[in-house]
Amino acid sequence: MTLGQVAAKPVIWLVRAYQFVLSPMRPATCRYFPSCSAYAVTALGRYGLFRGTWLTIRRLGRCHPWSPGGVDHVPPLPGHIDDGELIARHIPHETTT
Amino acid sequence: MGDFFNSLLRPIELLVAWIMYGFHQAFTAIGLDPASGAAWALSIIGLVIVMRAAMIPLFVKQINASRKMQLIQPELQKIQKKYKGKTDPESRQAMTQETMALYRKEGTNPFSSCLPILVQSPFFFGLFRVLNGLEKISLGQSDEIGPITKEVAAQAEQATLFGAQLSDTFLRANNTATYVVTVILIILMSATTFTTQRQLMTKNMPASALDNPFAKQQKLIMYVMPVVFAVSGINFPIGVLLYWFTTNVWSMVQQFYVIRKMPAPGSAAEKALHERLAKRGKPIPGEAERKAAEEAEAAAEAERASQRVQPKSKKRAKKSGSGSAAKKNSQTKN
Repeated sequence: MTLGQVAAKPVIWLVRAYQFVLSPMRPATCRYFPSCSAYAVTALGRYGLFRGTWLTIRRLGRCHPWSPGGVDHVPPLPGHIDDGELIARHIPHETTT
Repeated sequence: MGDFFNSLLRPIELLVAWIMYGFHQAFTAIGLDPASGAAWALSIIGLVIVMRAAMIPLFVKQINASRKMQLIQPELQKIQKKYKGKTDPESRQAMTQETMALYRKEGTNPFSSCLPILVQSPFFFGLFRVLNGLEKISLGQSDEIGPITKEVAAQAEQATLFGAQLSDTFLRANNTATYVVTVILIILMSATTFTTQRQLMTKNMPASALDNPFAKQQKLIMYVMPVVFAVSGINFPIGVLLYWFTTNVWSMVQQFYVIRKMPAPGSAAEKALHERLAKRGKPIPGEAERKAAEEAEAAAEAERASQRVQPKSKKRAKKSGSGSAAKKNSQTKN
């Protein structure tokens, strides 16, 4: 695990806390799959604090009522398979909803 | 960090102050006592109305989206059928992914994103800070906020709603009126949110969506919510609770309207709408398409079944299949 990934851990816990406490109190609203919070968890875990945060900010910027929404996964690491492909093939992996 | 937050919220505080002051002036002009709680409470309600009216375009978008949802119903059902009875997380994810891809392909999306709530929250905090700051402004201990001068602040600070000051919080107050009004507002807030959510769950969700674990979790949360409201509510000034309650009422009414006019396909509300339409002898939207699709399905089924027995009937089946497809086309044009 890189330093960036270790530094991202507390932020991931915060997002997870949001997912368990705040998010269920509101109806489902995200126009994307995976939802912005799930995207954040994957991005932070995969790319560490800095790039993960940057990817998350960009995703939040994309998620507004005028965007088409749809399927939008965190870019895969070089040489890895895209998450969408894994899900389509029903292969278990880390993405949370 | 605190300074950064302050300067970020400052323009919003100003906007909140101006809107409230504008309404207050208007209510005074039509004869309300400027120092009365009614004038200030109505100003807060006015603030809610301005906020929510500014978001009506989003509401219209939501309505259009639910209309379009009717049209893509057959394809949605195809996905649901494919994953029927599969509850493992991999299947659920694949199903969500396919559904979302369909929304994207069809250029519709039933979700509104979290932007609307993110846009509203600074105004909520802005109002919180304006109301919280009234006492200090009136005493000259902190800066005036735009039109909220020392005198106006003193007047607003003294304004009462059923004997409770609008700037009072449950935890800092020591009069019965504030306690009672806070508790009543917390109950009203919980009741409105609860009804809004419950309406959505019991009336506007297809039965297939109701038994998944996510819906169950949400049901549980619905009962926890009043506790959250109670804990946060005792920290907020009465005026903020009034704002919160009013905005909840707006959401509830707006949602009631959508569920009644444009219910989610396959939900109890849709059934009720169809019954109402049938009673009045009006055509049921989507019914013709659904029947045509069913016919086509039956024809295809017949073709598949007959293929093995009589090769001759294939032509006949095809004929009726293309016939119903043509009918479907002519109906969708209307």
